[in-house]
Amino acid sequence: MNPRLARLLTRLYPRSWRKRYGAEFEALLESGHGDIRTAVNVAWSALRERILPSKGPMTDRSSLTAQFQLWCMRAPWAMFCLAPVILLAGAYLFACLILWSGWEIYPPGADSPFGVKVHGFANLYFQIGRYCYWTAPVLVGWGIEFVAIRQRAKAAWLVSGLVLVAWMGAVARIQASRTAVPGGLGHISMDFPLWQSFQSAHDAMFHALTILLLTALPYLLWRLNKVLSPISR
Amino acid sequence: MIEDIERLCGTRLGPGTLYGAINRLEKQGWIEPLPAEERRQPYRITAQGLQVLRAKLTTLQQFAGSGLKRLEVL
Repeated sequence: MNPRLARLLTRLYPRSWRKRYGAEFEALLESGHGDIRTAVNVAWSALRERILPSKGPMTDRSSLTAQFQLWCMRAPWAMFCLAPVILLAGAYLFACLILWSGWEIYPPGADSPFGVKVHGFANLYFQIGRYCYWTAPVLVGWGIEFVAIRQRAKAAWLVSGLVLVAWMGAVARIQASRTAVPGGLGHISMDFPLWQSFQSAHDAMFHALTILLLTALPYLLWRLNKVLSPISR
Repeated sequence: MIEDIERLCGTRLGPGTLYGAINRLEKQGWIEPLPAEERRQPYRITAQGLQVLRAKLTTLQQFAGSGLKRLEVL
């Protein structure tokens, strides 16, 4: 291409872009054919660069997706075991916070917020905390399933994550107690006892299996659909 | 590079398209410039770029495999 035309086309780009790529881009244009197709391509790219300048890596969606994929490949234990546990712990903390604040606001004189009849907005407030506690393991399980399917992760990692979430969901217990001091602040805590008796171990096992079944159901249906669908064989 | 891509994919990239891609790849840290050779500017893939490329190619391989399997049925 004619050096003058190459320089002219390069000047269509913004100054900041030219500062970085100008010289080499001009050299590339000079070494190629100066046809109309090349000129249109350069003009269009320059216009795009002026309207939508190239962004940095952290704001680029494709880069974030790639980073996420990398994490799933590099550290599946973090994505499918550690992250669900942290998410579930966060959801339980939120549920405890709702329960504790609701107890302090609505039935402040009660020994425990459990079994106290509340109505209206107070009821709605407690129900949010209650459903957060109940549904968190299943929602977290579905979340890791979705990621595992999208990222084509090994089933072993998904199963490990689901078992961990089911176990956490089964043994998590919320306890409430008030201090002996009249009018003292209530205390809400959560613990994860493995089992205290044969009966509680039996209950925990049943609870864990129920959570596991509920969380694994969409994945099993998806696998079944894949197996039965003749086109995917 | 333009000719190499044409040999690989059968599509000839325009210089604007090529430099748009180079710009994005460099900002994402997937390629880096080497010392210039006169007016020619070579680039090389980084370690992070290699990992991303490997992951993308694996996905493409799985995609192509599933696609070909489905075609066999039809």
